[in-house]
Amino acid sequence: MAERISLEVPATLSALSTVRMVLGGLGARLDFSLEDLDDLFLATDGLLQAALEAEELDALRVRAVVDGGSLRVSAGAFRSERLRDQVALTPGDCIDLCTLLRRLVDDVVVEQEQDGSFSVVIVKNSSEPAA
Amino acid sequence: MSGRDDRRANDPMDLEALPGQARRVPDDDEEPEGSEARQGGPSADPKGRGKDDSEKLDQYLLRRYHLHGDRKAREQLITMYLPLVRSLARRYASRGEHFDDLVQVGAIGLIKAIDRFDLNRGVELTTYATPNIVGEIKRYFRDKGWSVRVPRGLQELNIRLNKVIDELVPKLQRSPTINELAEAANATPEEVLEALETSQAYNSVSLQASPNGESGEEDAGLIDYLGGEEEAYDTMEDRTTLAPGFAKLDKRERYILHLRFFEGLTQSQIAERVGISQMHVSRLIRRSLEKLREEIGDLDNPLPPRSSDDAR
Repeated sequence: MAERISLEVPATLSALSTVRMVLGGLGARLDFSLEDLDDLFLATDGLLQAALEAEELDALRVRAVVDGGSLRVSAGAFRSERLRDQVALTPGDCIDLCTLLRRLVDDVVVEQEQDGSFSVVIVKNSSEPAA
Repeated sequence: MSGRDDRRANDPMDLEALPGQARRVPDDDEEPEGSEARQGGPSADPKGRGKDDSEKLDQYLLRRYHLHGDRKAREQLITMYLPLVRSLARRYASRGEHFDDLVQVGAIGLIKAIDRFDLNRGVELTTYATPNIVGEIKRYFRDKGWSVRVPRGLQELNIRLNKVIDELVPKLQRSPTINELAEAANATPEEVLEALETSQAYNSVSLQASPNGESGEEDAGLIDYLGGEEEAYDTMEDRTTLAPGFAKLDKRERYILHLRFFEGLTQSQIAERVGISQMHVSRLIRRSLEKLREEIGDLDNPLPPRSSDDAR
C-alpha cells in the first residue's frame, strides 16, 4: 500500500531544507542512490525556488507518496501562470526549469486542483537498485 | 583600527595596510633565493607554470618579502593568489553579500596569510592561505550576523562521508545508497542525511577538507581552481555556451552542466571524465545552477514577482 506524507512549510528558502530532509528520509527508505537523491533535491529546489520567485505564497504544500520503488512528490498550491509556463515549456538549449526537471526526474506533470490552483508533480524512480 | 585603516585594510591592493608580522632569521645554509627559482623569476607567467615551478616561485617571493622586505614580491604574491580568493568567495556569494565585498574580505585573509607565513613550516602557501581566507570570510558573515557554524560532529561526519563516497563508488560501480554510506561511515541514515544537508547549505566543510577527507597538505579540490584548463572544456557545443546565463560560468562549470543536462551523463560518469570526486561534481552543479538562476533571474527582473495576470 502506498505511503503518503503531507508537509506544509513556510514559503521561504530556508524551509526547503526541511523538505529536502523529509524527501531524503523517504529516498533512503527506498534505497535511492546518492545521485538519485541529489537529482531529486535539485529538481525540488529548482521547482520550489521558481515558485517562490513567481508568486507570493503563504505556505508551500508538499505531498510525497512512496509507491513501490518510486517517490512521487507533489508541490503546490500554485496559481502563477508564469510558473506553469516555466514547467511546461519544451526543453530548449538553455538550462531552464523545464529542462532541469525533465533531466533530473522521471516524470513531471501539472495537476489542476479544484480550487483553481495547480500542483506540480515530479516522480523519481530508483535508477540503480542496490545489489 | 581607525576608519581610515579599515578602508585601507579592505583594499586588497593597498599593500601597506597590513604590515608584515612574522619575520624569521634564515638558516645558515639557506639561500634567500634558490637559483632555479630566480631563473623563473617573479616576472614569470603564473598561469604557465607547473606545480613545482609555482612552489619555487612562491618560495622565492616569500623569501624576498620576509627576508629582504621586498614589498613588490608581496604585491606579486597577492596578485597571483587573487584567483584563489575569488574561487573561495564565490562559494559564499549566494548568501546575501556582494561577491566583490567577499573578495575584498578574502583578500585581507590572503594578505594576513602572506604576512604570517613561516618559511620554516615547509607547507605551501595555498595550504596555509586557504583557511585564512575562508576564516576571514566566515568572520565577516559572523560579524554581520550570518552564522555558518556547523556542529563539529557533523563536520567530521561530512569529511568522513567524502572519503567513504570516494571509496564506495569504484567499489560498487555505482552511486552508494544512504544506508550503505551510513554503514560505511559508522553512522545512522538520519545522521548521514543531516551531514549531507549541512554540506549543501554551506559547503564550508568541504572548503577546509581535502576531497580525500584528510587535512593533509594536498588539497586537489582547491588546487583544481588553480590548475590548468582541460582541452575538453572547449569541445561543448556553441549553443550551450551561448545560452542565457552561461557567460557567467567558467569553462569547467559550463562543461559539467553540458555533460549533465545535454549529454545525460551521471554525476559519477562526469566525475570520472573530469577527474574529480562525485561529491565535488554535485557541488559544482548546484553552485553553477545557483549562478545561472541568479543571472536568469536578473534577466527576468523586468517581470514583477506577481502580476495581476499571474494571480488568477
